[in-house]
Amino acid sequence: MNRPYWLALLLLLAGCSSVGTPTDVAAKEQAGEWPPSVGEVELRVAQQVDEAALLDLGLIVFDPGIPEDESSHSERGIFPRIREVEARYLPVVLREALVASNIWGVVRVLPDDDKTLELRVTGEIIHSDGIDLVIRIKAQDATGRVWLDRTYHDTTTQADYPALSVTDPYQDIYHRIANDLGQLKSQLTGREIANIRDIALLRYAASLSPEAFGEFLTIQAQGEYVLRRLPAQDDPMMVRVKRIRNQEYLFIDTVNEQYGSLYEDMEPTYYLWRQYGREQVIFKQDYQQRAASRSSYGSRGSFIAMQQIYNAFRKSKELDQGLAETAAEFNSEVAPTVLEVDGTVFRLSGGLDAQYAQWREILRSIFTLETGLPAVAH
Amino acid sequence: MAIFALVTVTVACSQNRPLVADNSTHVNYAGFWELNLAQSDNIRARLDTLVRQLREQAARRSKAGSDRSGGMAIGNSGSNSGASIIGLARMAEMITGSQLLEIVQGKNDILIKREDTFSLDCEFYAGVVEPRKSLLGSEVCGWDSHQLLFRIFLPDGLTIQHRLSLGESGDRLNIATTVYSDQVSYPFTLNRVYNRYQPEREGFVCELTLTRGKVCTTESR
Repeated sequence: MNRPYWLALLLLLAGCSSVGTPTDVAAKEQAGEWPPSVGEVELRVAQQVDEAALLDLGLIVFDPGIPEDESSHSERGIFPRIREVEARYLPVVLREALVASNIWGVVRVLPDDDKTLELRVTGEIIHSDGIDLVIRIKAQDATGRVWLDRTYHDTTTQADYPALSVTDPYQDIYHRIANDLGQLKSQLTGREIANIRDIALLRYAASLSPEAFGEFLTIQAQGEYVLRRLPAQDDPMMVRVKRIRNQEYLFIDTVNEQYGSLYEDMEPTYYLWRQYGREQVIFKQDYQQRAASRSSYGSRGSFIAMQQIYNAFRKSKELDQGLAETAAEFNSEVAPTVLEVDGTVFRLSGGLDAQYAQWREILRSIFTLETGLPAVAH
Repeated sequence: MAIFALVTVTVACSQNRPLVADNSTHVNYAGFWELNLAQSDNIRARLDTLVRQLREQAARRSKAGSDRSGGMAIGNSGSNSGASIIGLARMAEMITGSQLLEIVQGKNDILIKREDTFSLDCEFYAGVVEPRKSLLGSEVCGWDSHQLLFRIFLPDGLTIQHRLSLGESGDRLNIATTVYSDQVSYPFTLNRVYNRYQPEREGFVCELTLTRGKVCTTESR
């Protein structure tokens, strides 16, 4: 095969690979499905805390929203390893806003689903890059009532990327979600809140022993849980249930420390990655215009022009790879968790979701041993 | 020949499958590599070769009457300008500046970490070559017999190809980096030769001690 043939082949291949800009096309297709951007949102912060009206809130690690069709990933600008870490990172940022709003009890990020939470918030990442963040949020309380199921969209501007920002460029989206949840909670009466808390505890108890606690709840046709009656305040079985649940929360709090570390480790690289992602889109949008004017760009084929093109690509690759490496390190270097129950030390290993499953299994075994009730198959 | 070439190109274009995503050749590139400048190309000599090729091409065209201008192939502006040719050479030099490489090769993937620049990585799942596209360009990689190829297609008709081949002994790695520009009718290729080395045998050696914690020395093992 002679060289001109090769050159022709390569140039034609280059041509067919650069026809259109798939990411732009995909974004335009998706644009119709996204709601308008949330705009600038001030977080509403409660000045007074009513302890009796607090609800604990659990954020389940988000669904990364990675399509099964691997061939579509690059077209949609999806880096699976980065998305998987974003799925852990974004709930941590949302948690910050929820805690700051000062209307919730304990706000935790959980590595796996738990339907017995007082208020359970799940999310799916629809789109995430330096310009747009789109996430679908669903909140459901322990009674099974859906508070909200809504898609949120935030768009950044250049002003969101100052050199030394201390705020997330998408803070408005987290403020909007926190405000919406706060608004929905404010509509509840004290009795309704107490009802959610009781049902959450009894659903947890029933997950440990349906035989002992199943009779306290009924499930309606719509899937909502209704309280039939409450166990006695000093019921020894309930005391054990509360102790076991607190042990489970102990693990979650340990996990949250690890998520906090992830947040701190990842924030600078992630921030740069998103900022550069935004610049890439702008670069592409302005490309034709700048290429046509050739003002500070150098003529086509000159070293300056080629150098600029290559360096832009190189920087983008270095940021992608740097963030992917941080993500991979987090996935592979999750520290083993050591926890103690009644003088016995348990060492949990593997990913956080695996550790969480191990811990729940251990707690269920302890409960079964203590109560003599039949074990629940999971 | 021209029709055959066009058909082949069209097929490659439509299927995006110019290379083979099959790691079954079992060529093992894994390890640490350091640049051997003495065995690598001299950029000046390569540039002279390219200029000679372009002049010969111009002479052939002139003889055949295909170049109506009958002028020089290498001018100050436009296609095959001196600036574009030197630009290609400078680009090749800039791109191939890594002194050290670390190659991690698995059953279905390979990662080439290059000092001071981004890594080249390739996955061979399902035997299908999938171009990776981004806003700033697209990449394709795969096997061409025992050689590993990476192609990066960038705007403005700029294309970069890295062709990796291993010497018979397995201790010598050649990376032929070719820069293509639609402003120069011949590409510019620069060969960089790397030799295997063991990083722990030189430089710092660190040990964890009970009394002093982590202690690093410059001793060789």
